Amino acid sequence: MHSSELLKGNLQTIILKVLADYGKMYGYELTQRVKSLSEGMIQLTEGALYPTLHRMEAEGLLQTEVVQIGRRIRKYYRITASGKSFADEKVLEFTAFIRTMSTVLNVKMT
Amino acid sequence: MAHLNDDHIDYILKDLRYRGIVLDGFDQEMVDHICSVVELEMDKGLRFLDAYHQTLTVFGHTRGLRSTQKEILTSENQNTRLMLRNYFKIALRNLSKQRFYSLINISGLALGMAACLLILLYIGHETSYDRHYANVDRLYRVNGEIKFGGNHYQLAVAPAPLATTLMEEYPEVESAVRFRTRGSYLVKPEKATEALREFDVVWTDSTFFKVFSIPVLNGNPNTALQEPNTIAISKSMAEKYFPNQEAIGETLIMDRWPFKITAIFQDMPLTAHFHYNFLLSMAGLEEAKSTNFLSNNFNTYLLLKPGARAADLEAKFPQLVVKYIGPQAAEMLGGEFSMEKFRESGNKLEYTLMPITDIHLNSDLTAELAPNGDITYVYLFGAIATFILAIACINFMNLSTARSANRAKEVGVRKVMGSMRSHLIRQFLLESVLLSVAAFILAIGVAYLVLPFFNSLAQLELSIPFGDPVFYGVVLTASIFVGVLAGLYPSFFLSAFEPVKVLKGQLSLGSKSGIIRGALVVFQFSISIFLIIGTFTVERQLNFIQNKKVGFNKDQVIMVSDVYALNDKAETFKNEALQNSSITDGTISGYIPVSGGWRNDNTYWPEGSQPTEQNMVGMQGWQVDYDYLKTMDMKIVIGRGLSKDFPSDSNAVVLNQTAVKRFNLGNDPVGKKIATYAGNNEDGTIDATKTQFYEVIGVVEDFHFESLKQNISPLGFFLGKSPGYASFRFQAKNTEEVIRVLESTWKKLAPGQPFQYSFLDESFGRMYASEQRLGKIFAGFSSLAIVIACLGLFALTAFTAEQRTKEIGIRKVLGASVSSIVVLLSKEFGKLIFIAFVLASPMAWFAVDWWLKNYTYKVDVGVLVYVLLRRRKRLPGYLFRNSR
Repeated sequence: MHSSELLKGNLQTIILKVLADYGKMYGYELTQRVKSLSEGMIQLTEGALYPTLHRMEAEGLLQTEVVQIGRRIRKYYRITASGKSFADEKVLEFTAFIRTMSTVLNVKMT
Repeated sequence: MAHLNDDHIDYILKDLRYRGIVLDGFDQEMVDHICSVVELEMDKGLRFLDAYHQTLTVFGHTRGLRSTQKEILTSENQNTRLMLRNYFKIALRNLSKQRFYSLINISGLALGMAACLLILLYIGHETSYDRHYANVDRLYRVNGEIKFGGNHYQLAVAPAPLATTLMEEYPEVESAVRFRTRGSYLVKPEKATEALREFDVVWTDSTFFKVFSIPVLNGNPNTALQEPNTIAISKSMAEKYFPNQEAIGETLIMDRWPFKITAIFQDMPLTAHFHYNFLLSMAGLEEAKSTNFLSNNFNTYLLLKPGARAADLEAKFPQLVVKYIGPQAAEMLGGEFSMEKFRESGNKLEYTLMPITDIHLNSDLTAELAPNGDITYVYLFGAIATFILAIACINFMNLSTARSANRAKEVGVRKVMGSMRSHLIRQFLLESVLLSVAAFILAIGVAYLVLPFFNSLAQLELSIPFGDPVFYGVVLTASIFVGVLAGLYPSFFLSAFEPVKVLKGQLSLGSKSGIIRGALVVFQFSISIFLIIGTFTVERQLNFIQNKKVGFNKDQVIMVSDVYALNDKAETFKNEALQNSSITDGTISGYIPVSGGWRNDNTYWPEGSQPTEQNMVGMQGWQVDYDYLKTMDMKIVIGRGLSKDFPSDSNAVVLNQTAVKRFNLGNDPVGKKIATYAGNNEDGTIDATKTQFYEVIGVVEDFHFESLKQNISPLGFFLGKSPGYASFRFQAKNTEEVIRVLESTWKKLAPGQPFQYSFLDESFGRMYASEQRLGKIFAGFSSLAIVIACLGLFALTAFTAEQRTKEIGIRKVLGASVSSIVVLLSKEFGKLIFIAFVLASPMAWFAVDWWLKNYTYKVDVGVLVYVLLRRRKRLPGYLFRNSR
């Protein structure tokens, strides 16, 4: 599993990209999806996930939708247009970062 | 896959709440998430409780959950939008929970603001006069001041030749224009038969359109008024006299003389200190060509060159006076006169310039083109607006702090929950701003509804500028400003509470008033008392004027206007009218003892001395017929009135007592003579060789013929024709018959001429119309201020009584009487009102005294007013308390 130190700066990028690719999701679903996508290497913690989700909602990157399921109330997050363009930006930024890192650390990517 | 049932979910919900997860939205989200994880665990074979605890471990137990919640909360607090939404929500909840106080707060503020808005509109209107001219910063009027002997004139008029002289000899002057008013005219188009009476007629120079940028719609502004017998009329008049027809080139008959219309101009705006509909060409006026510098009849306006300074030009005026007026005065008064000596002996003859924008509010001279406004009223109403707003704001502050007892607990709990002082201040400020904005919206509505009444009361045409974005900006800024101002004290006061004390119940500042609140109530009521005294005095002074003996009998006199329209049949008209048994006396004279009548100021000196500036007396010379004194019911003190039995009366004069005093004629003036110049030279200057003597045959008791603001000036009655008004004294019960008879006689003798009449007492009342308006407006606004103050006090006492319900209950159980409880409750505010009274009365005394200085004849301020006041002031409080 990757350390949370490494994940920290990229939490937003991950959430946005996943939501952009797979549509609306609720918190738990999101953790499971990321887990399966990363083959168990990335485990989002609730302590980091929810504050980030709420912040991005306040910033207008995400929209929410509340569905009542029996006694449970489920909150879905969906990416907005401005969230999408922000996600693209973030992904580009990250690939550029990896390229730089690979040069700096002198590693060959397979 | 396992599914949790409702019991499980409830369990989780309760457990989470117990662990302190309460954030709206977040708790539900957590429940859902935990449920999903628990279900997964249960699929692996765990029991519910084990699965739940397992999950909680992943979440970091209570601490982990709470820190997540806190993180979300912090980020939300830093988000302004969300925070504001919360503030709003809480503010609305609070306001709707305290409906009674919110209502009083909002309505009090709204009333106050509506009043302020109206007053501001009024002030805006008053200060916007004459600003519409293109060259407004270069436009000036020439004012004159003349003082010699006991005479003192302050004039809005200048000599006829001054304008031309200034234009020709002074490079600062670009152009000049003169006005000469000659009262009303009977106007009809050449082909029409019926004439209409028009008041807005003036003679003016051809430079008019050059000096005043009034748009000319048709015709050439440069040449329009150059020829004699030409006239320029306003658009509305063109439509009135020539409907559906080109007015230009047509001829209007003014009284008897034809004038050709050469220009149509746009109606002059209401905010101009003069508005005329008919401009007659001065080229046709003989008097305008006069070179006489000693007679002041022309309102003279100058357009200065760009860059020229008015002060520089003004500095040259003393030389001008020496150069032009000196020689003429010397000729009139004999050779020894010189301007230097004249000035040395404390006399004055000087001209000054007044910017045109100052005229409306700052000029109240003799011979103004129209009555002007008064800067005092602007200040007065400005002060009232401030007072009203202050009272309304104080209400607000007092109510908010009074409610602090209730809110103290809220503050305590909030602080315990981690609220910071700045949060609380923001919360309270927002509440007050919200109230204030609501009040402002309401105020605009109220003002909109009240405006028509206000307009008719103040005789204005104000409107709320709904189309103007600046207006909204100003209103919004003002409402936020007022909200912050009014909320500042409560918010700092409330937010300073210490939670421990509050929650222990040690702090209940609401019931016992703090010093500041007491001071505010005192301030409020000082203002109210001040306004009440002011209103009383205005009221009393107006009554005094209306009922003062003026020296003639103003009741039961009807005056028919424009007798000159009868031509030589004026006497016939009078005699035929007198046939009617209801009409007891009649006289024909333009000189009537109320303002609006003809006036004729001239200089006289006692016979047997050379005329000098010391013994010359400026005196009104009124041409009247034999029946004037009798009709007006004036009292002869010495001698007799003008009489048919004495043919020599054509050279006789009846003086008023002031004139006798000023001529130094002693106790036995009858038989003595006064002299005046009798003729003019060809160029209009006075011919010093011709003098005319008049013998004093009687003295009439002083009577008021101008507003009581002015002293009675010297006046003499001469025999002569002045066909202005035919005045008849009639019997009270037959008014309608009298009017009918007069009208039919008039129609017979002057077909086609308008029959117009008025009553002397009404004309007399009109002299004080502006004071009466002022009185009414003043009374209106001050009662409003008092209502608002009482509203506040009402809420405050209601609140105190509520706070002390238990105390009152216990007192009653122990045998206290109702009256003793009333006294108990009254005492606190009664004390404050007493202090307010002590503070306000000297202030009010000075203010009232200052206002009454304007009046020569006035009421005493009197102690009675104050005694009365104390009674009235206490009343509202008692009434309320009794009803409790």
